[in-house]
Amino acid sequence: MENTFDHELIYSIFKLVWSRKAAEKNEDDELFNIEVGRASKKNRRTTANANALKVSCELLRIFVSEAVQRAAMIAEAEGSGKIEATHLERILPQLLLDF
Amino acid sequence: MDQTEGTHNPSPQGERERRRGAGKRAILEKMEGGEGAVVTEKLEEDEERTKLLRDRFRLSVISIVEAEAKKQGMEIAGHVVPCIAELAFELTEQLAKDVELFAQHAGRKSVNMEDVILSAHRNETLLGLLRSFSHELKAKEPQQTQKKRKRSSNNEVS
Repeated sequence: MENTFDHELIYSIFKLVWSRKAAEKNEDDELFNIEVGRASKKNRRTTANANALKVSCELLRIFVSEAVQRAAMIAEAEGSGKIEATHLERILPQLLLDF
Repeated sequence: MDQTEGTHNPSPQGERERRRGAGKRAILEKMEGGEGAVVTEKLEEDEERTKLLRDRFRLSVISIVEAEAKKQGMEIAGHVVPCIAELAFELTEQLAKDVELFAQHAGRKSVNMEDVILSAHRNETLLGLLRSFSHELKAKEPQQTQKKRKRSSNNEVS
C-alpha cells in the first residue's frame, strides 16, 4: 500500500524497547550476581531481519486502518459524516481484543 | 491537518516540561547516591528518545489515517488521530516485547517473519492476511534474482 510505516522507525522503536528491557534485566542480574559472587556476563542483543520489519509495519498499518474503518462504520450508522471520539470509543474494546 | 496539529500540540509540550521537572527533582534526590544520578540521566535520555520516536510515529499514523478516511469518504475529528497514534504506539511496544520473547524461545537472537506472524495468532483473519503478505515478500525475493539471471542470459544471446 502507498501509506505505511517506515521500517527504520519501527526498528528504532523495537530497539528502544529491547534496550530498556535489557537494562532492567541487567540490573536484576547484577543484584543476583553480587549476592552469589559471580561476574556479570555480557547480555545478547536482539536484532530483527528486514522481512520481519516489513510484516510488523503491515500489522501496524492494518491496525490503524481497521480503527478508522470500524469507527467510520459506526459514524455512518449514526448518520454523521465525521468520525468523533465517541465512535472510536464504541469500537475500541473489540479492536483491542482483535490485536 | 491543521486541526490535528492545533489540538494535540499543546499537550505534549506541557507533558515534556512536567517530566523534565520531575527528572531534575529525581536527580537532585539521588545526588547523594552518586551512581543513582547516572542512572536517572540515562533514563532521561531514554525518555527523550522515546518522545522523538513517538512524534515521528505520530506523523506516519496521521498520513495513514487521512488516506483511510478519504477512502471511506469520511471526515475525522482532530483529537481522534492522536488517540489512534497512541494506541498504535502501545501496540508497537507490546509487539516488540512479544517478538523478542518468541525469538528467544526459538533459541534465536534475531527476530524473523514467523515471530511477527505468531504474535497475531489469536486473530485468524489477521493471521491469514499477514501470512499472505509474508508469502508475497518471499515470492518477491527469488523472482528478483531470477529476473537478473534472465536478463543476463538475454544479454548473452543478443
